Amino acid sequence: MRLAGTAAALLVAVSGALAAEPKKHTVTIENMRYAPAAIAVKKGDSITWVNKDIFPHTVTAAGKFDSREIKPNGKWTYRAAKAGEFAYICTLHPNMKGTLKVD
Amino acid sequence: MNAGRMLLVALLAAAGAAFAQAPNDAQIAHIVVTANQVDIDAGKLAQKKAKRADVKAFGKQMVTDHTAVNKQAVALAKKLKVTPEDNPTSQSLKAGGDANVKKLKTLKGDAFDKAYVDQEVTYHEAVLDAIDKVLIPNAKNAELKALIEKVRPAIDGHLQHAKMVQAQLAK
Repeated sequence: MRLAGTAAALLVAVSGALAAEPKKHTVTIENMRYAPAAIAVKKGDSITWVNKDIFPHTVTAAGKFDSREIKPNGKWTYRAAKAGEFAYICTLHPNMKGTLKVD
Repeated sequence: MNAGRMLLVALLAAAGAAFAQAPNDAQIAHIVVTANQVDIDAGKLAQKKAKRADVKAFGKQMVTDHTAVNKQAVALAKKLKVTPEDNPTSQSLKAGGDANVKKLKTLKGDAFDKAYVDQEVTYHEAVLDAIDKVLIPNAKNAELKALIEKVRPAIDGHLQHAKMVQAQLAK
């Protein structure tokens, strides 16, 4: 009985840990595009934007998050702390658009 | 004929000339460097003279991006041991660019902003056309062709950006 209880507690602890395990995602910035342009993640996950262009870029959702200038070959990581759907742009090249969805 | 028209005519002439006499790689390299330089010169002027912040920022970005492209183009020419060769298209581009800067220097405020942005729209359209009709089809060296293909999305992006600023100015 006690053993079963311990096992059950352990199982809950393990599954809880699995669910909470944050994931790491990558968005590549290349040829003046975010790839993928739309990404969906879970709260607590982190997303890294890697700039493979020869130009600087930004990842900016006004009032929500802002990478500032990411230099060529540079990268920027954001931890998705808030749920929601965020449209972002490159402020230097405002025709570049992306979306981050956080569940 | 205004400066924008002149540049357009120069680039279209280059497109037409492709049938008679295709530019070689050394000439293509020269055209690429000249086309970038023309936009850098105009961008530098806009950084100093533009009235609106978004026009100034656009000019600054043109200087940054086109300088980056030219750095790559010059490095590639060096690597391939190609000496960029002056040619009629480069000369027309340079003459058109100089005429544009000269005209912009006489303008101020809203008139400067409008003339600069209108010209940037025309210029990037003409450059895109030249990339598709002249530069990519005639580039023999694979790395040179790859560089031009890599630059194309940036020119396209600049065109869209310029159109966005143009739409703001029209409000």
